[in-house]
Parts: sequence; C-alpha cells; structure tokens
Amino acid sequence: MAHDRFRQLVQRLADNELGPLRRILATRHIARCASCSAELDSLLAMRAAIRTSLPSHRAPPGLAARIGSALPREQVPPRARPWFRVPALRLTGSGLAGALAGVALTVAVLHSGGSDNAMLSAVIGGHVRSMMADHLTDVATSDRHTVKPWLSARLDVSPPVPELAADGYPLVGGRMDYIDGHRAAAIVYRSDKHVINLFAWKTNQLGDSGFRLQENDGFNVISWRADGVAYHAVSDVEANKLERFVQLFAGK
Amino acid sequence: MPHLDAAYNLARWLAGNPADAEDVVQDAYLRAFRYFDAFQGGNVRVWLLTIVRNSFLTWLKENRSGRLVFQAETPAIGVSGVEETAWGEPPPDPEALLLERIDSQTLARLMERLPAEYREVLLLRETEDLSYKEIAEVTGVPIGTVMSRLSRARLALRKLWLEAEASEASRGA
Repeated sequence: MAHDRFRQLVQRLADNELGPLRRILATRHIARCASCSAELDSLLAMRAAIRTSLPSHRAPPGLAARIGSALPREQVPPRARPWFRVPALRLTGSGLAGALAGVALTVAVLHSGGSDNAMLSAVIGGHVRSMMADHLTDVATSDRHTVKPWLSARLDVSPPVPELAADGYPLVGGRMDYIDGHRAAAIVYRSDKHVINLFAWKTNQLGDSGFRLQENDGFNVISWRADGVAYHAVSDVEANKLERFVQLFAGK
Repeated sequence: MPHLDAAYNLARWLAGNPADAEDVVQDAYLRAFRYFDAFQGGNVRVWLLTIVRNSFLTWLKENRSGRLVFQAETPAIGVSGVEETAWGEPPPDPEALLLERIDSQTLARLMERLPAEYREVLLLRETEDLSYKEIAEVTGVPIGTVMSRLSRARLALRKLWLEAEASEASRGA
C-alpha cells in the first residue's frame, strides 16, 4: 500500500537515511499528508526527549584505571612488516627537512597503496592503544631534560624533545612502543585536550623526505624522515594544528 | 580511554546496574586491546560498542543462564496491542508530542520496561547517533531488521508513555 511505503520513508527521513531522490519524494508527501507529518513530528519529539531527558550514565571515575591495571604489561608483539620495502618514490619532498625552520610545510596527501596503509593503521593503532591501555607515558614529565635521556638510554634513536608549551603544545612525557615491528620512541604532547603521539624510530632508508599528511578514521598522521629517523605524528587534533606542531617540532 | 562513557552507557542500560556494567565494560576493553590487530578500520566507536554488546551477551550466559533478555522480535513486555506489522499503526498524533515534556525519571523507567533489543536499538540510534548500517554491524542483524525493530521500539515506547500518562491522569482525577 502506497501509504505504508510513505510511512517507511518518514522514519528513514527522520533518521537521515534517504538518498536525495527519495528525500524529495518523502518531503513532498509529508507536506500534503497530515498523518505522515504528525508521524515525523512525533519521531523527532521522541528523539529530542531521549537526547535531553534520558539519563546518560557516565563511566565511574575509577573504571579507566581499573581496566588499565588489568591489561597485560607486555607490549603487543611486533609484526614483520618491512617498512624499508616501501618504494622511496612514494615519499614526497626534496630532502630539505633539516632546513625547515620557519618554512611553511609542503604537505601532500597521497593516494597510498597497501603497505602505506598498513603503516598508517599501525601508527594510528599505536596511538589509539596508548590511550586505551591508559599507558600514555612511561616517564611522565613536562621536563624535556628528563624525557630525552630516558629515551636515549633505552632506544637506538635519540629524537629531539623540544619544549613547545609556549606555543600551545605542552610536553606530557615519553614512552617506549612497538610500531609495525619497530622499537619506537613515543614522545607525547598535548594540544588543548587532544593527545599527540610522536613516534620516532631508526630507519634504513637513506636521505631525508618531505612531510606528508594522511587522514584515516578521524586521525591525522604526518610522516617524514630526517637523519636516518622515521617520524610519525598522530592525533585526532585538526590537521592545521598538527601541521603547526610538526613545523615547530622539526624546526627546533 | 576512548569512548569509555559511550561503552559504559550502553553496558549500563543493557546490564541494568552499575556493578555488572563495569564488569562488562572491563571485559570488553580487555578484549578490544587483545584483538586490536583484528580491527579492520572504520569507526572505532562502532567497533568498541560491538565488543561491549558481545561481552554483555557472554556475561549474560555466564551469570543469568535461563533468563531470556534478547528475544526474537517480541512485543514490549506488558504493552497491550503493539502493532506487529513492520511499520506499526498510524500514530495517535497530538498526544505523541507530549513526549517532549516527559521527565527523565519517567523516561528512564519506561526504557527499562522495554525489551533489551528495543532499548538497545533506541540507544544506538538516538543517543549514539549511529546509522542503520552501523547499528546492523553492532547488533549483527540485517539492515532491514534494524529498520523494523527501530520502528517497533519507537511504537512500544510511545505506547508505554501514553499508558503512563493515562494512569497518571486517572490517579489525579
């Protein structure tokens, strides 16, 4: 029956589940049909009631810590994923990373292939895991003179740990992590309420690279390579703020 | 921890009390952490809510064997005359708008009286703002089932509310 069909459309319209054509069809019908119009109103009223009046249960304060302490302490085992096989041609830029102080970043969004995607999800995975496990830092301090030696004592890389609090990116601490088979240094900064994980690990690839921005699942990742170290900055902060962060980080 | 409030809210509405909800969420996050490599991309929140729901079902099996919480397309408990066609009967219109003025205690009580599958689909749609496709993913049913279940859930909640309203009025009289 035609009317029943329209009632389906009304629900889908209220739920924003109609394509453009059916949307027009449904809207036209509602303008002429008092019953469907009332139905739409009542669907929207119920939504408003649930959103404003239904008590929303927030996680109790101790729950995150409780889950964190129940998690296994050991890191997730590395997977053998040969980062060095990613063709150098995929990397954009002209090897000027070292001389970037004050220079605007050239950020290229690549249409990346399989291994690039694997790297991207490995890096994002590391970022998400760090927050999920409540294991953001091994050494929690805003003092870069503590973080840097702590990392270099444990890893074969010694990335710079610049002080960026004055620019709106306070240092939170450092951590060891495993990303895509690499033992990585993770330097943690904040931008407002967002966490930025900066991963750094030793790479066999020669030469410096440009910076590239990739977006996946709400996370922004900026990757580059300088002085034999691969860097990946990951966050759910807006792309321009992450770019600014990388600019400052790489410039110091 | 990402999406902990959303995970807890769903667990709390499914399990019905804080202590069990906490156990369910803890189990879910431990699973999520263990199987993170299996995450195929997509929406992390949808993935986590799926795990929360599965943890809830496991918890249910272990702790409340015999009690049926999820039933196949049942009408709301204690609601008489819920239309069983996919899209329900025409709405008793102007009254439904009164829902806008419902107080949160009454609404919570009515939600608790809904069968778990109705409660769940309403939460995922209205509170979590998930699409039909995402709800289908979380609940493991086809999109068509999501649509008809949602329609019935809305109808059932509306009926319950009108009944509550009517009994309130008769008590007041």
